[in-house]
Amino acid sequence: MTAPQNPITRAIWDGALPIKLSLDTTEAAALGAKTIIEPYFIEAPRCSYFPLLTSQLRKYFGDMMLNFIGDDAEIWYDVDGTPLKHYPIGLLYDLHTGYRPDSNSPPPLPWPVTVHFKDFPADKLIRAQAIDATQDFFMNGSTKKVMNLSKNDQTQLWDGLWSKNYDRFWSVNYRLVMNDGQMPRHIPLRIYLPDNCPVLQEPVSPLDDNNGNPLTLGDVLHQILPELFPSSLPSENSFAAPVIHGVIPQLDMPIVWASQNLCYPDNFLHIVVLLGI
Amino acid sequence: MSIANSDTTTYPNNSSSTFLNTNLVENANSQVSLNPATALEKYKKKDSSKVVVRFRAIGNAPILKQNFYKITASNKFQAVIQFLRKELNYKTSDPLFLYINSAFSPAPDEIVANLHKCFSTDQHLIINYCTSAAWG
Repeated sequence: MTAPQNPITRAIWDGALPIKLSLDTTEAAALGAKTIIEPYFIEAPRCSYFPLLTSQLRKYFGDMMLNFIGDDAEIWYDVDGTPLKHYPIGLLYDLHTGYRPDSNSPPPLPWPVTVHFKDFPADKLIRAQAIDATQDFFMNGSTKKVMNLSKNDQTQLWDGLWSKNYDRFWSVNYRLVMNDGQMPRHIPLRIYLPDNCPVLQEPVSPLDDNNGNPLTLGDVLHQILPELFPSSLPSENSFAAPVIHGVIPQLDMPIVWASQNLCYPDNFLHIVVLLGI
Repeated sequence: MSIANSDTTTYPNNSSSTFLNTNLVENANSQVSLNPATALEKYKKKDSSKVVVRFRAIGNAPILKQNFYKITASNKFQAVIQFLRKELNYKTSDPLFLYINSAFSPAPDEIVANLHKCFSTDQHLIINYCTSAAWG
């Protein structure tokens, strides 16, 4: 099955990051490493998740004669001492590097990430991951659409993501994102600010309540973060910039278009807001 | 540039900006600072307001004597799970599943304020709980 042609979702799906995964040095010694363990380099899809890389990593470090016998769920990742959450890889990169794509310095690539095989920080991370139906609830006020997907379609969504198969994933997801041509009630969106601010998630209407005109990304940022986006127009927002998939999007795009084209595979529009340059 | 329905309040640094939404008057009247660090402070502050959560037992889950509680909005959903476990006298090993609006199970690190803003019904966040998986 092929998915409807859309160069934007295709480009986002193909987006990848070079990552340098090093084993935590004290753990390497405890696991029986006699010499220095070489890091593992991988080009990971931005839309994928770290747990999907775990089996490859196990094999690589296993081949180095490290006798790790624990469960895959015990494996976790950190950047500069901060454990990485269950977010998509591209989002974690944008969030943790704080790299502004419009800056003059080169991006911090390959991205250095530390792998841990023990001492799972249960107070900071969640072990089990449930695929949640939040986004559908958000858009329609019910989870009917996701729950009504056939078993086959559900499997195909997950398989498509896991095996990096664009057509498999998007031929099913297209139906979820397009919402049968209906304007969604709310846009599923989350905003991440620097300095450990709490994540912002609010019901965002795609249309202006007063005149029914489509709201733009700039309107939404201005509504939710008036201090950081004093205007919905780009020229007047000098210090804060939204970053989605490592790109600063134009503020005049309709938010519903952004949601349908720039969402992550969980169909949320994850926006990282960066300050200064 | 001007937009119909907009108010004429302006920011000190820019006399030409107008706003789409009249409810933004409030923001414009308070001291708006263009310093990134101070602008961020507002969003860093924890929301100390309280929201109402209403628990509903499903299937053979025991019911609570009191079924609605006020909880601090800045808490994570994890706090709600722990609270319910305590009320029910459940050990960590006893299975307990929590859902919102009989629809989905939020991640434990979701912030209660966000869930309340997005999914509350008549100002109450309705949480269904049961001892076996039901939705999502």
